[in-house]
Amino acid sequence: MAQSFVRNQRSYEITPTANTIFPYQSSHTQTYKILTKTGPSNPFASYFRKLLTELKMGDQIECALDLMRRLPPQNTEENLSNLITLIPDHHEDLLNNVDQPLKVAKCKTKNRDYLLSPFNRDGDSYRSPWSNEYDPPISDGILPSPKTRKLEVSANDAFDTYRDMYVLNLIENQSYYEGGISSAYFWDESDGFSGAVLFKKVGDGVRKMKGAWDSIHVFKANERGRSAHYKLTSTVMLYTITSKPELGHMNLSGSMTRQFETDYPFDEPSSHIANIGRMVEDIELKMRNLLQDVYFGKTKDIVNDLRSVKSLVETQRQADIQKELLGKLMERKS
Amino acid sequence: MDAPFSTENKLKIVSKFLLDSPPGEVNDVFNDVRVLMADDAAFQVGILGALREYNTEQYTTVKIDDEEVILSKFGQIKDKVDSYVDPKSRQVFEFDHLRKITRVIEPHPPDETTEPLRSAVEAAITDYVKDHYPNGVSTVYSTEDETITIAIVDNKYNSFNFWNGRWRSTWVVKPESGELKGSLKVNVHYYEDGNVQLNSNKDIEVSTSTTVENPSAAAAAYVRLIGKAENEYQTALNESYIELSENTFKSLRRALPLTRHKLDWDKILNYKIGQELANK
Repeated sequence: MAQSFVRNQRSYEITPTANTIFPYQSSHTQTYKILTKTGPSNPFASYFRKLLTELKMGDQIECALDLMRRLPPQNTEENLSNLITLIPDHHEDLLNNVDQPLKVAKCKTKNRDYLLSPFNRDGDSYRSPWSNEYDPPISDGILPSPKTRKLEVSANDAFDTYRDMYVLNLIENQSYYEGGISSAYFWDESDGFSGAVLFKKVGDGVRKMKGAWDSIHVFKANERGRSAHYKLTSTVMLYTITSKPELGHMNLSGSMTRQFETDYPFDEPSSHIANIGRMVEDIELKMRNLLQDVYFGKTKDIVNDLRSVKSLVETQRQADIQKELLGKLMERKS
Repeated sequence: MDAPFSTENKLKIVSKFLLDSPPGEVNDVFNDVRVLMADDAAFQVGILGALREYNTEQYTTVKIDDEEVILSKFGQIKDKVDSYVDPKSRQVFEFDHLRKITRVIEPHPPDETTEPLRSAVEAAITDYVKDHYPNGVSTVYSTEDETITIAIVDNKYNSFNFWNGRWRSTWVVKPESGELKGSLKVNVHYYEDGNVQLNSNKDIEVSTSTTVENPSAAAAAYVRLIGKAENEYQTALNESYIELSENTFKSLRRALPLTRHKLDWDKILNYKIGQELANK
């Protein structure tokens, strides 16, 4: 396990080959190295997905992921399909490594919505968490073992309740509220199991503001006697679009990823559901606070760093006066 | 139509990627797409158009005689690729978009009829930019049909802390009618363990009854209107941030359930049963 971490870390440290032909050199070479260590495409970001696919990272994949971290998240789907055209050999790697807004499908057997993701995809078919069937049907689709499927069924029930508590009844008198969708997908590993817990909620566009929340939690669970060890990678995608006469058009969107690792007591298989639930709930709260800070705090500060509503000359003049007064005060004191 | 995997189509895609570069990151995007294209011969020739468009659209600044000048289509010399006017120093310079080399090539005497007003606007805008843009650069052009075009850009790059931002303003003034058409654009990229971008823009039309007989009075009137409109936009943007945070975000996901407590996961399946009973 530790070795895979190191291997992935290495592969991420490969920067694009030095540009010898063009003098158009990056002025951020040093920054790039820092980015690759702690940036979103850091070694942990899609760690589990890499484990799943046994992906060998090449230069082109490195560059493609770096590019996806820079291009407007508003166009993720279009950018991804263009990337696939550019490097078609990496088609599968790209699909498994780039987070896209979650799509919704209806389970025909259970007549219930579920979320599409790399975690329930096999070729062009997707498995419904409600019926355990692939759509379009395939005969050899990967299925969880009966034991893991049993956990998956309980997880889907549990996270459905969780979603109700956090998303439904937002405004008490709005009974028509669309409550979002959740899906959990589990799969077997040689030394335990892994899973993905997904949530999607699309806003209703009141006050001329549209929004969407997609969260993707991918975990790996290992039983270690009386306790279980969990590693979690969580990504939240948040999209907001506002149009008003005084504002014009505003699109504030993107995604953030965080990792989390913990041990919980473990006595019976169903303990996993409670443990994963606590873990997802904790990290969603942390990430919600993080998004609050970054989206509505940090980017707003940057806007006001670019331009000042207040007169800079006047602000400077007042600062100078204050400094002068302070200087005089100090003189009197001494 | 081009075949999807043809060189032409690949160039189209990498050009689009380059044009979408966030503020201050065009070099990084350039290096990425070069590796993805994996055809340096075609890339070196084919990417030039996108670089040219990026630099002029994004108001890349260059230094002429130690003063910063904006690269924009308003300064582009007709029929002379990559030649631009610096109206302030009254010179034409060449810019090599691939190598980022600037070279002054010849003097550019101004149009006698429009220059008094243009230079008056330039002086007023320079003061205004100093007063509201910490890192602002502006260039004021005499443009077609006796219009005056003002370009303002403010960049703040902090890639060490994973964020970059750019504000662009463009104002086209019709001195005859006193009409001003503005286009404001703000882009912010935050990318520490993520990729969050603000893209905001607003088009504005305002007008003044001040006539052009006195160029400095007319310039002062334009700048007052511009300052008011830009302040209003920025205020609306700040208010929208508050509204997004207090309403939109909350309506997508609560911080805590209505009970104000985290879930009791040991009992969660009982909740479900409880709820089903309650619904009956």
